[in-house]
Amino acid sequence: MLHYYNPNTQDYQPGTSALNPDFDYGTAASVSQTLVSIAVDGRAITVPEGTSVLRAAALAGINIPKLCASDNLEAFGSCRLCAVEIEGRRGYPASCTTPVAEGMAVTTQTGKLAKLRRNIMELYISDHPLDCLTCPANGNCELQDVAGVVGLREVRYGFEGENHLHAETDSSNPYFSFDPSKCIVCSRCVRACEEVQGTFALTIEGRGFASVVSAGQSEDFMDSECVSCGACVQACPTSSLMEKSVIDAGQPEHSVVTTCAYCGVGCSFKAEMKGDQVVRMVPYKGGDANHGHSCVKGRFAFGYATHKDRIKEPMIRDSINDPWQVVSWDEALTFAANKLKSIQAQYGRESIGGITSSRCTNEETYLVQKLVRAAFGNNNTDTCARVCHSPTGYGLKTTLGESAGTQTFDSVMKADTIVVIGANPTDAHPVFGSLMRKRLRQGAKLIVIDPRRIDVLNTPHGGEGLHLALRPGTNVAIVNALAYVIVSEGLEDQDFITSRCDNEAYNTWRTFIAEERNSPEATEGVTGVPAEKVREAARIYAQAGNGAIYYGLGVTEHSQGSTMVMGIANLALATGNIGREGGGVNPLRGQNNVQGSCDMGSFPHELPGYQHVNDSEARHRFEAVWGVTIDDEPGLRIPNMFDAAIAGTFRALYVQGEDIAQSDPNTHHVEAALKSLDCLIVQDIFLNETAKFAHVLLPGSTFLEKNGTFTNAERRINRVRKVMQPIAGMEDWEVTMALSNALGYPMHYNHPSEIMDEIAVLTPTFTGVSYDKLEQLGSIQWPCNDENPDGTPTMHTIDFPIGKGRFAVTEYLATEERATRRFPLLLTTGRILSQYNVGAQTRRTSNSDWHEEDLLELHPSDAELRGVKDGDWLGISSRVGHTVLRAKISERMLPGVVYTTFHHPGSGANVITTDNSDWATNCPEYKVTAVQVEVVSQPSEWQRDFKSFDKRQQALLAPAMQNRDNAHAASLK
Amino acid sequence: MSDQQLNNLIKMLEQIIANNLHQGDSEHVAAVAADHLHKFWARSMKQIIVTYANENPTGLSAIAKRAIAQLDVKV
Repeated sequence: MLHYYNPNTQDYQPGTSALNPDFDYGTAASVSQTLVSIAVDGRAITVPEGTSVLRAAALAGINIPKLCASDNLEAFGSCRLCAVEIEGRRGYPASCTTPVAEGMAVTTQTGKLAKLRRNIMELYISDHPLDCLTCPANGNCELQDVAGVVGLREVRYGFEGENHLHAETDSSNPYFSFDPSKCIVCSRCVRACEEVQGTFALTIEGRGFASVVSAGQSEDFMDSECVSCGACVQACPTSSLMEKSVIDAGQPEHSVVTTCAYCGVGCSFKAEMKGDQVVRMVPYKGGDANHGHSCVKGRFAFGYATHKDRIKEPMIRDSINDPWQVVSWDEALTFAANKLKSIQAQYGRESIGGITSSRCTNEETYLVQKLVRAAFGNNNTDTCARVCHSPTGYGLKTTLGESAGTQTFDSVMKADTIVVIGANPTDAHPVFGSLMRKRLRQGAKLIVIDPRRIDVLNTPHGGEGLHLALRPGTNVAIVNALAYVIVSEGLEDQDFITSRCDNEAYNTWRTFIAEERNSPEATEGVTGVPAEKVREAARIYAQAGNGAIYYGLGVTEHSQGSTMVMGIANLALATGNIGREGGGVNPLRGQNNVQGSCDMGSFPHELPGYQHVNDSEARHRFEAVWGVTIDDEPGLRIPNMFDAAIAGTFRALYVQGEDIAQSDPNTHHVEAALKSLDCLIVQDIFLNETAKFAHVLLPGSTFLEKNGTFTNAERRINRVRKVMQPIAGMEDWEVTMALSNALGYPMHYNHPSEIMDEIAVLTPTFTGVSYDKLEQLGSIQWPCNDENPDGTPTMHTIDFPIGKGRFAVTEYLATEERATRRFPLLLTTGRILSQYNVGAQTRRTSNSDWHEEDLLELHPSDAELRGVKDGDWLGISSRVGHTVLRAKISERMLPGVVYTTFHHPGSGANVITTDNSDWATNCPEYKVTAVQVEVVSQPSEWQRDFKSFDKRQQALLAPAMQNRDNAHAASLK
Repeated sequence: MSDQQLNNLIKMLEQIIANNLHQGDSEHVAAVAADHLHKFWARSMKQIIVTYANENPTGLSAIAKRAIAQLDVKV
């Protein structure tokens, strides 16, 4: 979908009925079913009741000038440029704030209106710098356009009077500047911050001529509450708020619509380009997941793609103590293939495996698991979803019959009660977090079940949420207590249960859950949550009308992660909150393609489409297309691979786009496993922590350098489109294909669309998916097949893939990881807004200005007990390791609970997390680690070792990188 | 096989059993656990635990032994 830049056009080719996402219709669409007909300049148009005259005119192809209006904001009526004349009415009403009425006759162009508009523009321009030719918005400025449209020819007031032309620019934000001299005080930025983002960081300070946009209380943007989502920059009709990248490079000349590679929201963006240089990423209004909104990561943190640390050439070495040697692709792939073959010859077919990446595309993960199953000849394939949402797959498949969330993101706008469990949407899924906050401002009730007081509880104008601040590790006890209240107080939806659920499973569950030991009063001592609060939460959810549950890794990353997922499904089934908009069970996926990597058969027990390897019918279909025999036994999961590596039976691993050395728990154990391998092949964009243990380094490509698809948390398949050439010449899917060919298993695809065609043949939920259909529809939510040719926004509307919904008994078992006298605190880990997972991408951007190191958050009472002050160095010890971080004292913590992030490798957050895991899936128990904390004066032993190992590995890479840079410099000469 | 690998497998199996005790009597729980291993454990993992159970089943619960006995793997 290549766009050539023409911001004013209403012509829109893809699809038939869709509006042009590149055009601003002035005000939002009305959802009314009642239609109203009016005439605009004699042109008849029929629109839904509640539509503004401004929008109706735009839909009729008549563009009324405007400056303060935008179709993602409420009508404001301040600039008055959109004034019109309406037959039978007096004066010149603003068309943005005037709704249509049946039979209305509107005139948009008269001599009086022209004069009025020119006068308004004259006033604006009298206090505006006349530097259009050197202005960064030149050619893409609404003020400039409107001046042209109204025919402004002179400014009678002169430019000598009082003005704002010398106002100081605020350049504090690394990505955009605020130049008040260009500001027309239209309030679009303020309204975007409020209505779209929901942060309320901006305001108009002063009155009349003294009115100015102010961040916080007259602070710099960087010091204010601004979260740098870019909504204000997007809304600004001049260059007052402007991306620094545009100021530096100039306006883009073409754009390509693609999908963000951060987080599971899967926002659509227009990569706005000059040649093959990305000038800026602009959230795409036509994106069904984000509707034109963005966060600081997707909007601004794309500079890592051209960072100097990028690996640009294949490299090999025999030992991790050898320097890297730059070689050709052929040489590297032959080296890797020979190693893999010789290891298999010596140690057996099952001695090697591969790990797919949830950051890579569907087509790439499909190829990696195919490589493992067809070329390696075993099922030793796994993915990073192992360490995040594997319990979602198990739990939802068991209860609802499908390993996926049930709703669209937009469904939250019909929720009456929103339950957030172990998720932090404003930080980890920020664009969805903003949508959730919008619904909360409209009056939906909020229940948060989390040890920490997360920011969604502090939603401005969002009402007071109910916070169940439970002790880490007691999720199942609380979900059982909620269910107990629903059952014992008669709050079940009996009609739904009778018609949609398996009766025997329900009766078994009901007998279990109604036992007194599951009551809020009985579990209060375990969870730490007052019984009355639990009862209140259960009543609010069950009697909500529409009750929606959103959950994250605070649910899954526990020893009972899978049990908790089933407990959540039980709640939704018991209250009938499944199968319609506004309700549902919604796992918030961590990385951009967690859903997709699971769908594509990355797990060792499942072929694409969650078809078990011991299902002979499914296996034979794959065998027929792939031309090989597929092993009918599951393969090793990631933690099992580590154990087998240390035991000496697992000798080689191919890792595409995952940094297991940093992200997986119990770092000592992971490092020991990686050091045990005879051959580690890492395909990545940087020398990440895992690559420091590798023997083959294959350059990866960023999302900007390849074609493919991502599937977001709402099962939405979105196109990823190449906007620049891959830095090392090959897209990731091409590298896997070449490795397979080097191994002797032929793969021949000319484009990822051909891989998708193969996926569609073999995966029942994807049979209707093709690149052509994606172009036509924009995106598709699977299942997409004969029954649902355009996809499935809401699942389980009529029945479940397993027929009836299955309640599951969810017995609470305390984790073995308990606070003791030696380790009296419980550590949980998580993410922060500005950084992304292991930080390999965001740490190489200015996002680090917000978060340059991982900190240990602890409650003031725990700090006082230990004599800890803000900023002190703290030694954190668990039963498996020790690391040192700086202290951040925080009221958002419960006493007895400490928290950190894992974005910086030197922090060693996972040195202290244990290898405890979920009973069903081996998903690590990141969220509960018993620790002790004390003030220290030096880094830990592991941190000192890490530093010296990192220095050594960087030195082994440096000559190869230097040779490359020299060669590049020579080629330029 | 390393001690650590074996200990982890034993721990995992006992955890599976503990989380399925509600499924019924010990025979039924053993069948559920065996089915879980059949569906989710790699061949090599099953071989290790079966070999261990055949040779020196110390540290395995009665249900674990019964579950292992139901596994159909060649050792």
